[in-house]
Amino acid sequence: MSSRFSKNRRKVIVVFVILIVLCETIAYLATTPRPTEQFFQLYVLGADHTISHYYPNDNMNISPGERVAWYLGVVNNMGTVQFISIRVKISNATVKPPDDQQIVESPAPVVTDFARFLEDNETYEIPFVWSISNATQNGGTTRILTLQIDNETYQISDWSARNGYNFRLIFELWTWQTDINAFEYGWNTIDMHHAAWVQLWFNMTSAPYISQ
Amino acid sequence: MLYVSLLNECQMTLISKNVLIISIIMVLALIGIEPSIAAPQIGMLQPGFNQAIVVLHQAESAGATSSEVSELVTLLNRALELNREALQPNTPLGRRTELLAQVDQILLSVEGQSAELTAISSQRAYRDELFTYAGAAVAAILGTIVYAFAASLYQKYRIKRTFQMKASIK
Repeated sequence: MSSRFSKNRRKVIVVFVILIVLCETIAYLATTPRPTEQFFQLYVLGADHTISHYYPNDNMNISPGERVAWYLGVVNNMGTVQFISIRVKISNATVKPPDDQQIVESPAPVVTDFARFLEDNETYEIPFVWSISNATQNGGTTRILTLQIDNETYQISDWSARNGYNFRLIFELWTWQTDINAFEYGWNTIDMHHAAWVQLWFNMTSAPYISQ
Repeated sequence: MLYVSLLNECQMTLISKNVLIISIIMVLALIGIEPSIAAPQIGMLQPGFNQAIVVLHQAESAGATSSEVSELVTLLNRALELNREALQPNTPLGRRTELLAQVDQILLSVEGQSAELTAISSQRAYRDELFTYAGAAVAAILGTIVYAFAASLYQKYRIKRTFQMKASIK
C-alpha cells in the first residue's frame, strides 16, 4: 500500500516538474519579444495615387511651368520610432545614382528635404507637386535654374543636360543616427546597413533659348 | 611730395569707403533677394532633438505602448515644424528666437515625459512579467492537482471494475 502511494507521489512530482517546465517556457516565449525584420519602404506614386501616370498626359517631356504631381511616401517597419529625412536631389545622366553595393548616396546636389518622426508601422505620405520655374537652353545644353516644389522655389546651381534629355529627381531615405548626432544615408539593422532610394527621369526639351 | 602722398592717402580712404559701401549694398541686395528662394535646411536642428530621440527609444525599450509614444511623436513633429519655420530665410530674427525657444521647450517636455514613461513602462513590464511567470507556476500546480485527482479517480474506477469482474466470474 505504502509502495503504491510512494509510486503515485513520484508520478505526481514528475508531472508537476514537466508542467512547470512547460508552463514557464510558454511564459518565457510570451514575454520575450520576437525579433522582427527591420526595414523601411520608400515609394513615389503618380498623380492618381498609382504606379502610373507620373507625368502630365504621360509625356515625360516637361515644359517650364508645367506642374507635375506625385505622392511621396515612407513606411516605418523598424519596430521603433524613427526620425527620417527624404532628400530630394536633382541630377542628370552623367552623375552617379546612389550606390547599392557600398550604400553610398548620390553626389548630386540636394534640392530640399522632408524630415519627420515616424512611429512604428506608420506611413508618412506627402503630395509632391513640382515644376521647373526657370530654365534656359544654350548651344545644345539645357540648364535648370529654379525648381518649384510645393509652392516654394529652390535655386539649382547650374544643373544641365544635353539637349534637355535625361534629367532625374532622386529621392533618398536618410535616418537619424543618435550615435553620430546626424542624418545618415540608409538605416542600420543589427547586422547590416541598408538603403532605399527612388529616381524618376524626365526631359525638358522646350526651355527658352538664350543666345550668347 | 608730401601733398601727393596726402592726396594718395585721401584717395585711398575714399576708395576703401566706396568699396565698403558697395559691399554693404551688395550684401543687403542679396539679403533682399534671398527670401524668395527657399534653401534646404538639412542638419540645422536644435541639439535637443538627439537627446529627445534617445530618451524616447529608452521609453520604447522599457515597454511603452504605441499610444503612449504617439503623443510624444506628435510633439516632436510639432517641434520639427517650428524648427523649420524658424530657419526659413524670411523669418524675422525676433520671431526666430521665439520659435527656437518654443522648440527647446517642447524638446525638454518630451524628455521629461519620456523619462516618466520609461519609469512607468519598466515597472509595468516588470509587474506583467512577474504575473506571467507566477501564473505559469499556478497553472502548473493546478495541472498537477487535476492530474492527481484524475489519477485517483481512475484508480478507484480500476478497483471497482476489478471487483465487478471478480463478481461476474462467480
